[in-house]
Formats: sequence, structure tokens, C-alpha cells
Amino acid sequence: MTEDNGQAVVQLTAVRKDYGESAALDGVSLEIHAGEAVAVMGPSGSGKSTLLSMVAGLDRPTSGSVIVHGDDLGTLDEKGLALFRRRRIGMIFQFFNLLDDLSALDNVALAAQLTGTSAAHARKRALELFEELGIAGRRNTYPAQLSGGERQRVAVARALMNRPAILLADEPTGALDTRAGEQVMDLLLDLNQIGQTLLLVTHDQQLATRCASRVIDFLDGQIAGERSLERTP
Amino acid sequence: MSAVWPVARAAVRRRRVQTVVIGVVVLLSTTMIVVALGLLAASSGPFDHAYAKQSGSQLTASYDRSKVTDAQLTAAARSAAAVAGPFAQATLELDRTQLMDSLVTVGRADPGGAVDRLNVWKGRWATKPGEIVLNRNPVDKEGRGGPELNGTMTAGGQTLTIVGFAYSVSQSADAWVTPEQMNALHPTATQMLYRFAHAATNADVTAGQQGVTAGLPSDALIGTQSYLALRAMAAGEPNTFVPFLMVFGWLGLAVAVLIVANVVSGAVVAGFKHIGVLKSLGFTPTQVMTVYLGMISIPAVVGCAAGVALGNVLATSLLTRAFENYGAGGLGVPIWVDIATLLGVPALVALSALLPALRARSLSAAQAISAGSAPRAGRGLRVQRSLSGTRLPRAVSLGLGMPFARPGRTALTLAAVVLGVTSVTLAVGLGKSLTTYQTAASRADAVDLTMFAGQSGGEGEAPPGAPPGAKLTDAEDEAVLRATPGVTSVAASTDMGMRLPGTRTDVRVSFYRGDFDQLGYRILAGRWFDGPGQVVVSERFLRQRGLALGDTITLQSRGKSVRAQIVGKAMYNSGDEALSNWATLALIAPELRANLYEVNVKPGTDLDAVVKAVQAKDSGLEETPGQDPGTFVAVVLATVVLLTLMLGTVAALGVFNTVVLNTRERRRDLGMLKSIGMTPAQVTAMVVTSMTAVGAVGGLLGIPLGIAAHRLVVPAMANGAQIELPDFMLEVYPAGLLALLVVAGIVIAAAGAYFPARTAARATIAEVLHNE
Repeated sequence: MTEDNGQAVVQLTAVRKDYGESAALDGVSLEIHAGEAVAVMGPSGSGKSTLLSMVAGLDRPTSGSVIVHGDDLGTLDEKGLALFRRRRIGMIFQFFNLLDDLSALDNVALAAQLTGTSAAHARKRALELFEELGIAGRRNTYPAQLSGGERQRVAVARALMNRPAILLADEPTGALDTRAGEQVMDLLLDLNQIGQTLLLVTHDQQLATRCASRVIDFLDGQIAGERSLERTP
Repeated sequence: MSAVWPVARAAVRRRRVQTVVIGVVVLLSTTMIVVALGLLAASSGPFDHAYAKQSGSQLTASYDRSKVTDAQLTAAARSAAAVAGPFAQATLELDRTQLMDSLVTVGRADPGGAVDRLNVWKGRWATKPGEIVLNRNPVDKEGRGGPELNGTMTAGGQTLTIVGFAYSVSQSADAWVTPEQMNALHPTATQMLYRFAHAATNADVTAGQQGVTAGLPSDALIGTQSYLALRAMAAGEPNTFVPFLMVFGWLGLAVAVLIVANVVSGAVVAGFKHIGVLKSLGFTPTQVMTVYLGMISIPAVVGCAAGVALGNVLATSLLTRAFENYGAGGLGVPIWVDIATLLGVPALVALSALLPALRARSLSAAQAISAGSAPRAGRGLRVQRSLSGTRLPRAVSLGLGMPFARPGRTALTLAAVVLGVTSVTLAVGLGKSLTTYQTAASRADAVDLTMFAGQSGGEGEAPPGAPPGAKLTDAEDEAVLRATPGVTSVAASTDMGMRLPGTRTDVRVSFYRGDFDQLGYRILAGRWFDGPGQVVVSERFLRQRGLALGDTITLQSRGKSVRAQIVGKAMYNSGDEALSNWATLALIAPELRANLYEVNVKPGTDLDAVVKAVQAKDSGLEETPGQDPGTFVAVVLATVVLLTLMLGTVAALGVFNTVVLNTRERRRDLGMLKSIGMTPAQVTAMVVTSMTAVGAVGGLLGIPLGIAAHRLVVPAMANGAQIELPDFMLEVYPAGLLALLVVAGIVIAAAGAYFPARTAARATIAEVLHNE
């Protein structure tokens, strides 16, 4: 899905993030290349989600630099960060974060409409994604009426709507039952195999093994280790 | 209950913004209520108290001594409950060194009696000829050059020594002398002071008057003064404030109730999990309810107490100003108003919190805990679906759909905006009616040029410092003015202080000739004078004297009397002024010349050139400022503007509170929208849009309510102020203004929504999105 396979899509240099007295990230440097699927693992409070926020431009580092797809996030103001997220980032969350008042299709179309795409075009593109993800029959359903797995597929569709440079996933199977979790894993794997760069934050060893080609272990805000994986089917 | 208090206190701390909003709203509305109730309750209190203390005269009557004897008056007075008199009475002309023109003087042997017991507060009562006691309120400031104890004054050609100052709340006379001294002053009238068994209404007093004049010669009665007219005069100013203060107060309280209901239901909805935890800890349903009631009672009680204190300060200041002439020092809001407000307002606030608190009470622990984490079923779905397909920017269409997600909360917010717009509509209409009235009544801008001719001729030496008099005769000056290029109309006038028999206050009568119908006076009823013995007066003049159009009054001055029929009612403020014509002046003082010329000119005429041209012919004519619009309306308008700002703020706080609740509840949604690229400006626009739609609807609903309130309040104010407003002064809402008032609703809503929207737009979202 990205055009610059092999290039560094994400480049973190000596990133530090303090919350009061404690450091959530402490001098983290890493690169993620186009087409890679990277899993970040570690115990609670190790800094995984903070790393994701830095890459998504949801939060700013205390020091160090974060460059994503050529954009130095430290140089962007709030509006610049919003536009960056709109164009470059797709995010999926453990608890889906869908708008309850909108139908599944409108939730997905919303991401394109924010870029100025007309409602008709946005819905057309959303429908294509629904078909690709196998949930076309649920497009007019509201989030409260969807199963957990369906909700996460809708969230994935929304994340893919603007063809992001990188897909960020925060515990994407954490709130799902085993079967739904496996479906989401398959979906992420398929996406990576067609070129979508992935950054997963997870506790789930199985998800990491199945979807990621590289695992970065975090401990106390620092990279404790890094390993390449052979994906297991 | 020991566990309830710390939890309620913690809830207050956790919701600081809402706590402050409730406190401020309750404070503002309580202040308005206390001022309004305080004025209403005390508006005639000081007068009634002083009247009861002095056993004041309910009807003060003056009779022609040549038509009726003292014995006849005494015999006829049997139907009264109490009587004082007969007392001989004379209106004494004063020399020009005195501050007053004339002195209604009564011969009384002592200050006591069954009616009108005088308070001799300085010096002593007159006991022998050559002594005089003056009527003066103890709180009146003594002006420089005014009469002093043991000083002398010349009245009725006799030199009298001032031996004391007394005060009559009945206003029965300006001064008193011994009966022997009065005989030497050649009395022309006899005064009788009556109290009746029933005197609560004008009809009672009229019936009493008929009883005590039955059998007397028909033309013996030359003047009366009812205590109800004095009472109305005393209560006039506070009574003008009461109607709109009451309306604003109740509107404020209604908004407070809506906000409290909104805050508590918001707290219950947002705190489902919290309620579940409390119940799982062992809190009884009633304890849970008490926590939620306690949460709003704390700021409500504090706000109410502060509002009562502030209301007392404001009301006392207004009452003291209005009633200082009745010895109203230390006057304040009656204690029952304070107690009723202190109990009633928090009770009302608690009542408004009761429904949502009962909801918290009835939730089961499991239901409450699960409600806190389960996804909400979508609401207002159809609306959102249709909005998503529109061409509107997505941030705007999402915002427009937000009010439908919580229809109950939206309804409460809408009601607050409706009341805010109602207040603004009422205030704008009130302001327009009052300024229209003031412009018409004061004749501001009605006359282009006013020329002063100095003191009226024939009255002796002008006081030192007075402007030089005209050089030409009255007729010559008028001819000069009329012949000046550009002049279209000239009205000449002079005025005199005159007395109505039986009353103490001077009536300033302006006598006109020429084009007086061009002076901007609006005739409300009847017609202009067209012959001798006719006057035109104001509504207030009629009410304060219990007179009506067609009645005949006697005006006295310079030892002469003239009977004049009231032929018209004109629009002007004063109750102590009358308008008449030159033909009537000729009956009393034919030697007087005009001292004022009011001139109108063709549009575009250079007024300076007119003045120069006139002064070239008569250098003694001076240009003088025209009518002063006065300050009372300005005070009322300032109060209205202040109250409108307060209520607008209160309504905006209602919106503010709703947006705070909405954005807190939708924190996760807002975070998600930002995560997919919504800019802070778009978030702000979305949230503000959600409330501006409510504001627009609120504007449309609030305007008719405001107009209806205007229709009720303005006539009530006019009644309190003893004035008459023509119907056209109520027609103050042109279409353009109505459109602007719709904007008022939008502005209130947008102002209330903007700051929490901006805060929401700037919120850090990472944490919200990663945790449920």
C-alpha cells in the first residue's frame, strides 16, 4: 500500500518523554522501514503506548526527534499534526473507538470526509473497503449492534480509508474473543503482505509472532531487546 | 450519613466547574429575587409606618371660609372616624429673598390631636403671635440660606420668628402659627383633617369625603388631598423597578433550576460506574441519592446565602434613596424575604436535582457498573445519517447532530437559552419603550432653539447673578423671532408657582401662547386649551391628586384664585407641572411677559445665524439649553442592561455547563476524531456548532416569550411610575430587530460553548484512546 518500500517510514532519535518525575520513554531510537510489520512488546507501563502516541503525533516528546514519512513532528503545530495524522496515519485501538451515533459506513467515510472528500465519494471508497474486509453486509449497522470482531474490522477500514503511510495498532485483539482475534490477526497479516507498514503494540505473543517480522521489547521506557521473527502461519 | 458527607464533598471537588456554575447562577438569581421581593414588600412600608405613627390625615380638605362656617364643618364631620380642625388657613406670599414662593400656613393651637399628630423635632411649638413653626423632614438637608431656628421671615406682610421645626407626613401645611396669629394673617380657607373607618382604596376615601361634605354648600370645598395620592407618590420609584426586577428574578431562578437539573443528570449519567461502586461498597439507595443532592446543595446554599447578602445591600440602597423623606434610615429588606429566600431557593434547586438523583437511587449496582463500560446505543441516528450525506463540512454536520445524542440534556439547555433570549428580548423592548417614552415625554430634540428673555416683568428686582433681561417688549421680541429667516414656529411662555388649595406642594404652571402645538407635547386624551380657565396636565398629575379629565381645579397665586378645567392629558413626566394658555394667565397676572421663546426652524437652517440675527435686534435674549431628558430612565436602563448581562451570562453558563458535560462524556469520541485528523479548529467548530443550532432554536422560541413579557412588564412599570404609555410605544419590535434577536440566542450559545470547546480541542488525547 505504500510506495517507498525499504525507506525508513518512522525514525525516532533519542526520544524521551517525561510525565512529571518519571520517564515513560528514555532515549529511544529506532527505525521502521516501509513494508515492515513491527511489534512492540513489554509489560504494562514499559512505554509501549507512549511510543505509539509519539509516532501518531498524539503527544510530543520531551526531547529527541520523531520523523514519520519525512515529516519532523517536532516542527508541526497542532493543526499541522492533525493534517499529518489525516494523511499519513491509520490507527486502530483495543476498544475500537467508533462513534456510536454513526453507522459503520459513516464511521469509515468520516475519515475521508475530513480531508474534504465529498460524502458520496467517501462512502464509495468506504464500501470498497467493507467489501475487501468482508463486512459489506454490516455497513448500515451501528457500532452497538456489531460484534467485537466486526467493530475492529470497521476500525481497520476507517484506519485504511486515507491510505496511510503506517498503520498503528494498539492491542488490536485485546478486547476480542479468540476467534475474532484470529480474524483480526489474519486481516493485519494480509494488509502487511500487500505492503502496508504496521506498528503493533501488544501483550499478545501469538499476535506478534503471526503478524510481525520484527519484535522490539520495551522495559522501563527503554528498548530492552530486538528480534527478527519468522512469521508462523 | 457519616459516609455520605465525604463522598458528596469529594463530588463537589471533582466537579469544580459545575460547582462554580451552580454557585454563580444561584447567587445572581437569588440577588435579583431578593431585590425584587424586598422592593415589593417595602415599597410603601416606610410611608405606612410614618402615617400610622402620626395618625396621618387620610383626607385633607380645604373649604372656602366665605361659604361655610366652622360649626357646619364640625357637624358634617360626624361620619369620620377621627377629625382634626377646623383650622384657619392662608396661603402666604413670601418676599423674593425666600427659597419658596408661598407658604400654606395653618393656625393650630397644638401639634397633637386625633389626626395629623405633628413631630416637633427641633425647637418648640408656637405659643404666641409672631411665632411660626415650619414643616420640614428631619432627614432633609438644610440648604445654605434656608430658614434657621430663631431666624425671622416675612410672610403675608408680617415678620415672624421661627421657633421650631415640625414634620407632617400628611403634608397638611408648610407652616403653623397660633390661631390668634392666623387671624391677623387674614385666612381665606378652613382646613379639616379626616380619618375614616375604611380608607384602603380611592373609592373608600371618596365615600368618606361624600360623608363629611354631605349637607355643606356645593361650592364650599375648594381642595382635597388623599393620603393614597401621597402614598402612590412615595412608592412611585420602587414600584417602577419591581415589575421588571420580578420578571428578571424569576427568569434567573428558572435558568438556575434548569442548570442544576442538567448538572445533576449529567453527573448521574457520567457517574454510573461511580454509583455502582458506591452501591457495591454498601451505600444504601437513599445514601446514593443524598450524595447527589448534597453535591448540588453545597454550592446552592453558598450561592443563595451570598445572593441574599448582595440582594440586601442593593435593595437597601434603592429603598433608602426612594424613601429617605419618610425617615427610612436603616430601612432594609423585610426579614421574611430573607428567610423565605434562604429556605426556598435551595429547596427549589434540590427539587430540580431530585429526579436525576432518584434515578441514581434506583439503579442496581450491576446495572450501574455495566452501564459505565458498555458501548452506548447510538441516539439521534436518523438525524446523523441524513446529516452525513449533506454538503456541509463534516465538522459542522457532526456538530449539528450532537444535540440529538442526548435529547433530555439538549432540551434543558434549550430551555436555558430560551429564557436567556426571553430576557434579552424583554430588555431590548423595555429599553426601546423607555427611551421612546423619555424622548417624547422630555420633548428632547422637539425644539430647535430656546431663547431666554430674563426674569418675567412686573416682579420687582431680579436676584443677583440673574441674566440680563430682554431689551424689547414681549410682543416685539416675538415679532423679531417670527421675522427671522428660517423660523417656522415660535411659542412664548412664562411660568408661575401656584397652589391647589389644601395641598402643600407648588404646581408650576407654564402659560403658553403662539405655536405651542409645535413643542413636541403629545396629547394622550382630551385636547389643547382654547380659552381662559383651561389646563392640560400629565397622567401623574391626575393620579397624585385623584383627579380626572374634565375636573375643575383651583389654582392660587399672588392672592388670587382661578378655576381651571382639565381639558387635556399630555405626555410628560412631572406630577407637579401643568400647562395652560396666555388667556388664563391674564386672569391672574396680566402684567407678566414671556420669559422663554421656543423656536423651530426649517431643516438645514443655521441655528447660530438665527441666534445672531435675533440678538442683533435684542441683545437681552439669550440662548438657553433645551429640555434635559433626566436621569431616572437612565438609571432604569442601566439596571435593565445590568440584569440582561447577568441573565445572558447565566444562560451562557447553562450552555457552558452542557458543553462541559458533553465534551467530558465524549472525550473518547473527540480523541478518536483527532486521531483520524480532525484539527483543533474543526473540533472547536463542531462543538460550537452543536450549541449554535440550539441557540438558533432558542432564539426563535424565546422571542415570542420576550415580547409577551414586554407586554406585561411595561404597562405594569408605567402603572407603578404613574404614567400612561400610548399603544405605539409597545410596538417596538420591527422585523430587523427580531432577526437580530435570533442572533442573540446564537451568541449566547456560542459564547457558552466556545471555551469548553477550545479546551476539548486542546486536550491530550493519547491517554483517552488507549484506555477504556
